[in-house]
Amino acid sequence: MSWHPAHGRHVRVSTLVLVVFLVLAGGCATMPDPGDPEAVAEFNKVNDPAEPANRAIFELNRGLDTAFLKPVATFYRDVIPQFFQDRINDALDNLRAPVIFLNDILQGELDRALATAARFMVNSTIGILGVIDIATEMGLEGHDEDFGQTLAVWGMPEGPYVVLPLFGPSNPRDTIGIVVDFLVDPFNLWASNSNRDFAVFARTGSRAVDLRAIHMEALDSLEKTSLDYYATLRSLYRQRRADEISNGKGSANLPAPGLGQAPIDDGQPPPSDGIKTSEKTLRIR
Amino acid sequence: MLNRRRFLAVLLGPAFILVLALPLPPGGAFAAGLEVRAEAFIQSMAQEALESLTQQGTSREERIKRFRKMFNAHFAVRSIGKFVLGRYWRKASKDEQAEYLSLFEDLMVTSYVDRFQRYAGKNLNILKTRAEKGSAVTVFTEIARPDGARPVQVLWRVGARGEIIKILDVVVEGASMSQTLRSDFGSIIRQKGGRVSGLLEELRVKTASLKADAGN
Repeated sequence: MSWHPAHGRHVRVSTLVLVVFLVLAGGCATMPDPGDPEAVAEFNKVNDPAEPANRAIFELNRGLDTAFLKPVATFYRDVIPQFFQDRINDALDNLRAPVIFLNDILQGELDRALATAARFMVNSTIGILGVIDIATEMGLEGHDEDFGQTLAVWGMPEGPYVVLPLFGPSNPRDTIGIVVDFLVDPFNLWASNSNRDFAVFARTGSRAVDLRAIHMEALDSLEKTSLDYYATLRSLYRQRRADEISNGKGSANLPAPGLGQAPIDDGQPPPSDGIKTSEKTLRIR
Repeated sequence: MLNRRRFLAVLLGPAFILVLALPLPPGGAFAAGLEVRAEAFIQSMAQEALESLTQQGTSREERIKRFRKMFNAHFAVRSIGKFVLGRYWRKASKDEQAEYLSLFEDLMVTSYVDRFQRYAGKNLNILKTRAEKGSAVTVFTEIARPDGARPVQVLWRVGARGEIIKILDVVVEGASMSQTLRSDFGSIIRQKGGRVSGLLEELRVKTASLKADAGN
């Protein structure tokens, strides 16, 4: 399959037109009856004022996934030996290191920044351009960061839930994050400065296939077992993001059912729920 | 009258204080005891899952039966079900509540039996425990993945009442089972105009299709 840049631009423009149309046609979620405080609280907690438009884009993404990404990812997962899949995953992870490093610094996490830098040096050299994650073998485990998380650490609220065409679940804060991470990524800078745009497409494409293959099982079973796949992914996205923002430290504080008496019986979660869960987010890594 | 009331108060007062004082061992020791019990509880459940779900040649129907037994024995099904339904629990009639709880159990059993089985043979490492508000403990574990990738972080929220100890929530990589289900069910009910009966219709269809599923 050959890729014509002009053709690509055409596809993007028509996608955009379609999306704008869907947004206009879908409009906004119906406001709850202002006289019902519980319904209003629920509406605010769901925090998805553009739900009909988001659902339309979600279905569009699902259609594109079923038609293109999922078949390729299934083939990749079933045909390519696990060993090579792991090497590709390691190499793609390693390419992200500079962006992770930058975000570690911006979040004031100097220890984590040092770990990221050390990993990048070890893996890019001994690990043969990142193909083998030697650093993890040496006990230097990796982590992920992105500018959306940095903005959260800086105190920016997530804003309403948004489903982006192609990129999927997001919010205004994480959308800014995606754009900033893309712009500061040295690999992308190198590619655009040396007229190697194809390298960016190749990297993005292989990352999409890599992540889709890794999450195939989890997504398939979610799709099968959930009543409302859209609402389930919305909840999971928020919870996962909150967990990532707190670097895995916050997840134990979620409100949960109690044994026996009280707060759960009236269906109203403890007061901390609003803050904790509104931060909560399935981020595909 | 007044005398009799005073007499009763004098008689019952000390008895009441006695009753209050008796079942209260020192706080610290009690909490630590629960943490140890919760760890042992999670460990033995993992062992039980390994023994009852991973045998070769067990039919899916049989595995569902065994998993249902485990689920009812170790999970606070009613509490979780009520939490998941949230404010709509009160709006449901008694009959709806009963049918909901039975369908909720069906959904949990049929959707987790395959996932549970996939992980049942894998190592479960207990990392630490932490006491929570009320008689609850969070047990932090990591479970090896079938494909050998980085282990999954799984937190078990465990509650105790007397001798009874049950799981209240499972949090996988930061995503809580009960929170996620609550969003899922809540969204369906809103689409059905706030009617719990609308959720029940969807649950009947879903559980029927999951039961018929050959598993994967």
